Amino acid sequence: MKNCIRILVFLCMGHFLMAQSTTVTGTVLDSETQEPLPGVNVVIKNSNTGTTTDFDGKFVLANVNENDVLVFSYISFVTKEVRYTGQTNLAINLQPDVAALDEVVVIGYGTQVKKEITGAVAVVGSETIEELNPTRIEQALQGQVAGVNITAESGSPGSGSNIRIRGISTNGDNRPLILVDGNVIEDLSVLNPGDIESINVLKDATAGIYGVRAANGVVLITTKTGSKNSPLKFSYDAYGGFQQTSRKIPVLNATEYALLVNEAFAAGGSAIPFTDLSNLGTGTDWQNEVFQNAPIFNHNLTVNGGSEKSRYSFGASLLTQDGIVGGSKANFKRYTTRLNYDTDLLENLKLTTNLIYTGTERKTLSENGIGSVLFNALNNAPTFAVRDANGAFTLAEGLGNEVINPLAQIENSFNSTDVDRISGKIGLAYDFWDNLSANSSIQFNYAEVQGRFFTPTIFYGAGKVFNNTGRNTLTVNKDIFKDYTWDNYITYSNTFNQDHKVQFTLGSSVFVTKGQFSGGTQGFFESPVNFAEADIANAVDLQNGLKDSGLSGKFDERLLSYFTRVQYDYKGKYLFSGVLRRDGSTKFGPENRFGYFPSGSLGWIVSEENFLANNAFVNFLKFRGSYGILGNDRIPGNAFRSILNGEGAYVFDGQLVFGQAVGVLSNPEIQWEEQKTLDIGVDLRLLDSRVDITADYFKKTTEGLLLQPQVSGILGASAPGAQAPVVNGGTVENSGFEFAIGYSPVRQEDFSIDLNYNVTFLNNEVTEVNNEAGFLQGGSFGIGQDPPARMKAGKPIGYFYGLETDGIFQNVDEVSAHATQPNAAPGDIRFVDQNNDGIIDANDRVDIGNPIPDATMGFNLSINYKQFDFGAYAFASVGNDIVRNYERNQPLVNKSVYAIDRWVGEGTSNTTPRLTTGATSNTLFSDYFVEDGSFVRLQNAQVGYTFPQAFMDRFGADKLRLYVSANNIFTFTEYRGYDPSASSGSPIGAGIDQGFYPVPRTFLLGVNLNF
Amino acid sequence: MKNQYKIQMKSSLSFYSLLCLLFLSLACTDDFIEVDSFDEDSENFFNSEEDYESALIAAYDILQSTYINVMLGEIASNNTLAGGESATDVPGIQEIDDMVHTPVNQQLRDIWSWMFAGVNRANYILEFKDKTDFANKDIVLAEATFLRAYYYFELVKWFGDVPLAVDQRLLFGAQNEVERTPKAEVYAQIEQDLIFASETLPATQTQVGRATQGAALALLGKVYLYQDKFTEAATALETLINTNNYSLLETYDQLFENDFENNVESVFEVQYTDVEGAGFGCLQCSEGNVAVGFNGIRNYSGPVFESGFSFNVPTAEVYNLFDPADLRRDVAILDIEAWAAANSDVSFVEGFEHTGYYNRKYLARQGDLNTGDANLTNPNNYRAIRYADVLLMAAEALQRGGIDEGRAQGYLNEVRERAGLDPITVTGPDLLEAIYLDRRLELVGEGHHFFDLVRTGRAATAIDGFTSGKHEVFPIPSIEIELAGNRWAQNPGY
Repeated sequence: MKNCIRILVFLCMGHFLMAQSTTVTGTVLDSETQEPLPGVNVVIKNSNTGTTTDFDGKFVLANVNENDVLVFSYISFVTKEVRYTGQTNLAINLQPDVAALDEVVVIGYGTQVKKEITGAVAVVGSETIEELNPTRIEQALQGQVAGVNITAESGSPGSGSNIRIRGISTNGDNRPLILVDGNVIEDLSVLNPGDIESINVLKDATAGIYGVRAANGVVLITTKTGSKNSPLKFSYDAYGGFQQTSRKIPVLNATEYALLVNEAFAAGGSAIPFTDLSNLGTGTDWQNEVFQNAPIFNHNLTVNGGSEKSRYSFGASLLTQDGIVGGSKANFKRYTTRLNYDTDLLENLKLTTNLIYTGTERKTLSENGIGSVLFNALNNAPTFAVRDANGAFTLAEGLGNEVINPLAQIENSFNSTDVDRISGKIGLAYDFWDNLSANSSIQFNYAEVQGRFFTPTIFYGAGKVFNNTGRNTLTVNKDIFKDYTWDNYITYSNTFNQDHKVQFTLGSSVFVTKGQFSGGTQGFFESPVNFAEADIANAVDLQNGLKDSGLSGKFDERLLSYFTRVQYDYKGKYLFSGVLRRDGSTKFGPENRFGYFPSGSLGWIVSEENFLANNAFVNFLKFRGSYGILGNDRIPGNAFRSILNGEGAYVFDGQLVFGQAVGVLSNPEIQWEEQKTLDIGVDLRLLDSRVDITADYFKKTTEGLLLQPQVSGILGASAPGAQAPVVNGGTVENSGFEFAIGYSPVRQEDFSIDLNYNVTFLNNEVTEVNNEAGFLQGGSFGIGQDPPARMKAGKPIGYFYGLETDGIFQNVDEVSAHATQPNAAPGDIRFVDQNNDGIIDANDRVDIGNPIPDATMGFNLSINYKQFDFGAYAFASVGNDIVRNYERNQPLVNKSVYAIDRWVGEGTSNTTPRLTTGATSNTLFSDYFVEDGSFVRLQNAQVGYTFPQAFMDRFGADKLRLYVSANNIFTFTEYRGYDPSASSGSPIGAGIDQGFYPVPRTFLLGVNLNF
Repeated sequence: MKNQYKIQMKSSLSFYSLLCLLFLSLACTDDFIEVDSFDEDSENFFNSEEDYESALIAAYDILQSTYINVMLGEIASNNTLAGGESATDVPGIQEIDDMVHTPVNQQLRDIWSWMFAGVNRANYILEFKDKTDFANKDIVLAEATFLRAYYYFELVKWFGDVPLAVDQRLLFGAQNEVERTPKAEVYAQIEQDLIFASETLPATQTQVGRATQGAALALLGKVYLYQDKFTEAATALETLINTNNYSLLETYDQLFENDFENNVESVFEVQYTDVEGAGFGCLQCSEGNVAVGFNGIRNYSGPVFESGFSFNVPTAEVYNLFDPADLRRDVAILDIEAWAAANSDVSFVEGFEHTGYYNRKYLARQGDLNTGDANLTNPNNYRAIRYADVLLMAAEALQRGGIDEGRAQGYLNEVRERAGLDPITVTGPDLLEAIYLDRRLELVGEGHHFFDLVRTGRAATAIDGFTSGKHEVFPIPSIEIELAGNRWAQNPGY
């Protein structure tokens, strides 16, 4: 960093001002039980000086000035403030608080008491994570936080999820910024959920302190730390169980299949393929053959403790999970170890460190698309046995080029992807003078991703596109990713005239990510060799992807940011916060490299006003509002210039030779995508805080949307390795309403009930697409059809664009009375002639569905009764449409049972068309393939039993709890596919079900042991 | 109350100093985010011979994507039907076969976009032709010029008037300004490019696959012929013939086998290989001949051939047009029923519009590496300009230009002789008919026939659904008109 110069010299001036102070001691007790409370935070108000109580509730705090206010805070207890007037031994009683408002919340470059937060921030604590036993941390957010929508990319082990905070606000990367203890983490699969203390979600403009990349929201994850002055504690958590498919799609059995196939062939004028149906029976149920019960195990050990000056936490975990399709062929393993260590190097100098190692090993089968195992299971004919008389897999002959025997496919799939990742942090916090603190921290990630993919020579049947009639092929790759974030900030806090509390933060952040893609090395083997033995060193022929083509595969992307924040409150009632951040990104050209992102928020704690103080009904009432501009730079690097990283390869003298050609076409004009975000919210607590309500209205307008539109072919964007330029070309609005309510009707020592409900209504509308065509399209349907999803002004992003149906032609007269429709005959779908030109064609396509739900909601119930606890959680999505695209349109493939209700003559059906092998327009993309994807899912239910303390004391243990848990228990939906939560990640082309791998149903038995 | 120092002075200073150091280095100047790309910037290239050579390879690369031009040129004619799996298998191909092509046709858009990608890559070199000097620069520039002419010739054949760019790339933004240049002007540039190439390129190149003087002359002759410039065509083609650098391969049945690529008859050949994999996501990225997999026998198993997608199936009409004694018939067209009858282990499935015939010249042969997706990586080179084609073009130019029917007969009979046919002795229109017929039969399956019919005014009578004044050129994909700012008129009739 040779070009970094000294700017903040002023910081180093005048550090010889010293204060006068004394040392205070005391004891903190639980006011109800009079038990000492260990680990209570004791800080001098408006300073960063503080300590925590030891195991006996005692504390020693130096440097206290007369009239300083000492703040005692502890999770689940009401924070208490005591003015120091020279007492020698303070006796403090803290009152339990079921829902503590004084909880400290991480807000980015600092923390804030929850009560005083003016932004839309939601918190998910470790209890929720423990209850849900997610294999990935995103699953703990689903339905828990209003405004946060999680959709699984797949149900296969190790697969990812999409996190969308308040809708889809950009055409590109919609992922929120995820920071784990300040460290940027893009792939959440590397985190062990058991290591997580809390997850905070910043949903509105107050995320603006993170400026660039905060536009999609920010998720702040805090890992577990120990407590000072606490003895060594072990906790061991483990669960084991099995997973099964949550659904099988009902398809025709062999006899039904043969009947319907014969009918289709007859209608198409061809000879019927099945002349004798009598011996067919039910045939093979391919789904039964591919689905299996698959085991899942997780072990998690945590060690916590702390001395007077230090605290530490060590965690190790192992997760192993087989697939419900393919079993061990789809296994996922994750090993993690974590060490957090904080210590006070000096009374006013704190060191924070953590180090996390994660290793994952993942095996995959083809999924979610044509040629996936489930696609083959659905489409393969039930008349074929799994194996023939000789024990060999049957060939799916006659079923087109894409459908193959799914069990042969599983057996011949070989691959593994291993990720090794080390993440760490070193941070220093230094308090100086009375009101200032300085923080500096470096976070880093280093990851190696190694893949091995083996394709044996294999014959699945004549003409199958998955045949490998060539040579055994091994492809290996090793990609390296490394990044670091260096944050520095100083904070000034003070209170003037007792009522004016001010906090001022100034800082900088540097983010650098570098890496190298290997591009893959392909080796060919002529003699028989298997996956385990295949070694690229022994290959007879090698293809070195990037290396051959002379490309570096390297990237180096950076952000340089300065930020400042002012927080002010008057009497703890009127709150203000303002943020300004300047970001510079390597993603933009010299002209547009820097962006300024301001945001501000206001809050009014009405319940602090005299007229509401001590009100019996209203315990807490706060209005808050925020507005700000956030940035987004998530586009490929170097888009502002034209780089020779395309593909130019030709054959001279019979040898493949590589040249250089342009990759992404350049657009020097591109600049920051900007999101203007408004949030107005209210927090309310009623009836002894038994009722807790949060409601928010929000509107996000994303302008200058960064997208890669189609461009004119004359520019050469479709050359090998080339891509369309990135442009600022559109505007999207997301507006909505969030409402969350918690209610605790029973709150007794050995009996409590808590209910939580949250709902989000979301309206997504594209208001401008600024390219010549006026729209963008994406997604895929069938084979060779136009992309079915579009982005266009006035419509939600990614709406479905196709023909509207109007029932079924019942007779010849109806066909001739209608607009000319290619190949139309009685029994075919009647399409609406939208433009009344008398011809049904592509010009009659209209909006036929929206993949974005109108509303999503979550419901939680938790009951504790004596030694028993019970939790249940449901999630619902309403109003989203799904395109059914897992059926291969081919005469001999199997069909879903709804084909039984097909049209077979006048009046027999007005919804399901006739079957024929002849030419028909029924397969054109229309609303016939669009279904309502609304669903309610009982996501989790759990019953636990905690052994009585007296019993535990005999073993010297603190806690032993056993539980049984079930996940993804039942889904109420009309949708006919595997899983209505199906979703691909891309904004245009979401909600198209290509044979989505269902999220499994899981049954677990678990134990929590603390000692 | 006794006053105390907050912390000890000494340690305060040392740690404070440390912290200061930290903060001092934190403040970075803005040039911290000025990072060079690891790969070369296109605006700062052409600093060495290697750079020119490298950009030239990339310009050649686009030749491989002309597989779609060849396949559709055949399907559009009366030689073959679209085929495929069903009536809806690749609608763009079906439309072209049925002469109902709409302006929404992905395959036409591919041709449009890919050929312009080739133009841009060739122009990239020519835009920077003066930057760095080296010994053989003229040859590199002549190859680039040849390629630009090749791609523009394809564009005029398919679309008529097209935006013309000379020695400059069409960069982002240009799409809002450029107009369609009249076809005649584009042809003038093509001629100029090919004249330069034919005068500059060597008769034999350093590497097999590069454009030669012969390739430039043959293409120049063809371009003249397409404009009915018979004298110029005859001159260019006979110049090539008289070099005696080329001759017909002795037997026709070896011509299209992979062991006989780049043979004595090959004037220009698009080179393919099977060593690199390919996928449907980027057909133009394949280093193999994608058309070969598309032409393949549906669900075939058996000897010699490999299976494919049963597109581009020859009609009985063209099969029956062959004299049964014509040695070319069974080389050019595979009668799959007869083949199955003759070989016990043959099985196949009938695709859409099954005629019983396959385009045998460009069917996948067994024995290649079958790198996945094996249908897309067939190594069969496309014989873009064969000497037989040159002879027949010369014969046509000589006859139609009224130059010399004797030489025309001679060239025609040279081709017929290899086919095992008697020499032609007729003259006048009968000779022309004979040339046309032999041209169709000699070159069946090679993607020329539709354009031959169009340029000679015979398309309307030969092709069902062909409308004169409309179908001579294809519609510009409507999305391409929109993306260029909706300023261009569509081709007439669409």
